[in-house]
Amino acid sequence: MTKPIIEVKNLAKNFGDNVVLKDITEQVNPGQVIVVIGPSGGGKSTFLRCLNLLETPTSGEVDFNGENLTTLDPKRVNELREQMGMVFQNFNLFPNMTVLENIKLAPMKVKAVDDAAATQRAHELLKQVNLDDHADAFPGSLSGGQAQRVAIARALAMDPKVMLFDEPTSALDPEMVGEVLNVMKELANQGMTMVVVTHEMGFAKSVADRVWFMADGFIQENNTPESFFSDPQTERAQDFLSKILM
Amino acid sequence: MKKKWVLFLTLVITLFTGATMMGTTAHAASDNSLAQVQKKGTLIMGTSPDYPPYEFQATVHGKTKVVGMDVAVGEKIAKDLGVKLEVKSMSFDSLLVALQTGKVDMVISGMNPTPARKKNVDFTHTYYQGGYSIVINKADKGIYKNKDSFKGKTIGAQTGSTMYNESKKQTTNTTVKGMTSVSDLILGLQSHKLQGVAMEKPSAEAYVSNNKELASVPSDFDLSASDTSASVAFKKGSTSLVNAANKSVDQIKKQNLVNKEYLPAAGKYLKTNTVNTSMLHYWKAFLKGVEYTLIITVCSVFFGFILGVLLALARMAQGGPLMTGLRWLATAYVEFIRGTPMMVQVMFVYFGLGLVVNLPALMSGIIAISLNSGAYVAEYIRGGINSVDKGQTEAARSLGMSRGYTMRYVVLPQALKNIWPSLGNEFITLIKDSSIVSIIGVSELIFQSNIVRSDTYRGVAPIAVIMVLYFILTFTASRILNFFERRMQHD
Repeated sequence: MTKPIIEVKNLAKNFGDNVVLKDITEQVNPGQVIVVIGPSGGGKSTFLRCLNLLETPTSGEVDFNGENLTTLDPKRVNELREQMGMVFQNFNLFPNMTVLENIKLAPMKVKAVDDAAATQRAHELLKQVNLDDHADAFPGSLSGGQAQRVAIARALAMDPKVMLFDEPTSALDPEMVGEVLNVMKELANQGMTMVVVTHEMGFAKSVADRVWFMADGFIQENNTPESFFSDPQTERAQDFLSKILM
Repeated sequence: MKKKWVLFLTLVITLFTGATMMGTTAHAASDNSLAQVQKKGTLIMGTSPDYPPYEFQATVHGKTKVVGMDVAVGEKIAKDLGVKLEVKSMSFDSLLVALQTGKVDMVISGMNPTPARKKNVDFTHTYYQGGYSIVINKADKGIYKNKDSFKGKTIGAQTGSTMYNESKKQTTNTTVKGMTSVSDLILGLQSHKLQGVAMEKPSAEAYVSNNKELASVPSDFDLSASDTSASVAFKKGSTSLVNAANKSVDQIKKQNLVNKEYLPAAGKYLKTNTVNTSMLHYWKAFLKGVEYTLIITVCSVFFGFILGVLLALARMAQGGPLMTGLRWLATAYVEFIRGTPMMVQVMFVYFGLGLVVNLPALMSGIIAISLNSGAYVAEYIRGGINSVDKGQTEAARSLGMSRGYTMRYVVLPQALKNIWPSLGNEFITLIKDSSIVSIIGVSELIFQSNIVRSDTYRGVAPIAVIMVLYFILTFTASRILNFFERRMQHD
């Protein structure tokens, strides 16, 4: 049996009196693509952000490669974060830097990669996301789809073991969703471990190894995409699917 | 709210008790004064050089220096002590403070040994016995005869001087207006804001003989001998130094050196002075002013910015009690600095801090203005940091960047861009506000213009010149800032 790369144990998160996550225990194995779906406000984003400690869990633990993030010192957390790339709904590119500089910044500052090597790697990644001709552009001049692909390249530049996607296509115009999903699919095909929060059911069906259905602060159902979409086990999931598939 | 108050008060009280205690200890440990001066090899004389023929600025071989009969007295004392004389210029108001805080060893500035002053400093015997005159416009000769002719009118006198106090006491229905420098008073007279200016006889004569528009009348003040005499002031308790200086002073009196040698010598400087009063002739003085104004501004902007960044970060510190304490401290600092005038801060740093370490005026000025600017810059930067989207921090942190790296490479550059116009504004304000350090005798533009004014007896022209110079400085600065602002635009 393979050792899980991420293990979540009894994870809970409150914002004041507002309980967002209640007692989640799940695990992600290397190479797996997990798609987290569910109604808005169900805690999906908070859950994802707990995985790399952008949110501090109220209780429970998050293990990455066997190390419990919640008890580590900040320095070690930074080191482990390098290994978990994250892509945000709003891209969060650095507007004052060119595309190339966006990608080079973290490798050069955090990993002390020299400029030539960082530049070369950045160009490779840009080719991978079909944007090498935009290397010297500033983020302000990119379309949403282009910006999100740069954000993916930027996260990949740290050579992460896991990629976390927080609704990567929700802020995009419909015609741009495809180009981003294609890049993600390719990444999955290369064997990247991925946890994707999304509303793209098509992507979930065709790429996911497991679908986690999340609502009311719980993972209500953990299933293969085939059986989840054809034969959901919980009433909550049935209700959700009936609404979105219509 | 209540807690905030207590903290604030404690801070202020500690600051003050600290300062006073230092004051008393400095007092108590005094009477090796003579030995100290001799060990040092220099005797520092403080004076307010806008009072010819007592002391004034003259251009000697292309260099501006302080001359006059008081300087000659100072040189005599220094020579008799076997040390070198160093002259430090500052405003008359600041002289005694400078003496008490050890910025200068003695004050010779036509100063009268009044009982009030005697409480705070020690005086030598008098080296000169003068009298008072009132300078008026020549056109008014005949209208004003003496102090009693100014009913319903305004006369001026140097703030903090004996003339000022006596003018207040011995006139009725007369407004007495105080100004720091005599050249300002003369200007006030010529522009008819004042009808007369009370000053010592030798000064009055010097002004009248150098300006055809002026005339002098006797003051007829009822004065005791101590009010019209001039003495050398030393720090309270420095008896050995006073005794040594008294030997020189007694010689000066005995040989009548003031009237025989010192006054004629001073008169010669006055003559050469008024030959060329065109502003162009003084370009070196103005250039020096521009140079110092720029030095003060650039240094203060640099240190103020660094301090501002640190304060802004401290104000946003979060975590344990240490961080909370840091936040409180930074907040208290910013509030305190913003709530007190910069002029007071400059004086506090120069005179107050001077009790602990003897800082030169220029450095004190730069420190004070940096400390002040830092508080304002901190607020701009805090606003700038808050204006950067939270997603930027999250993106950087998710890439494994530490808190510090995130701040340095991602947040601050963007914050800087957002607040650039405000920072530019602060820079330009500083160019202008640096003029405040003229009160502690730093030769920046205002100070230099005052020198030129007392040198040339021309009131308006030097002001016009520095006005244009300031504008050139600020306009150039704002052009440069705009250039960088355009370069930072990416979207």
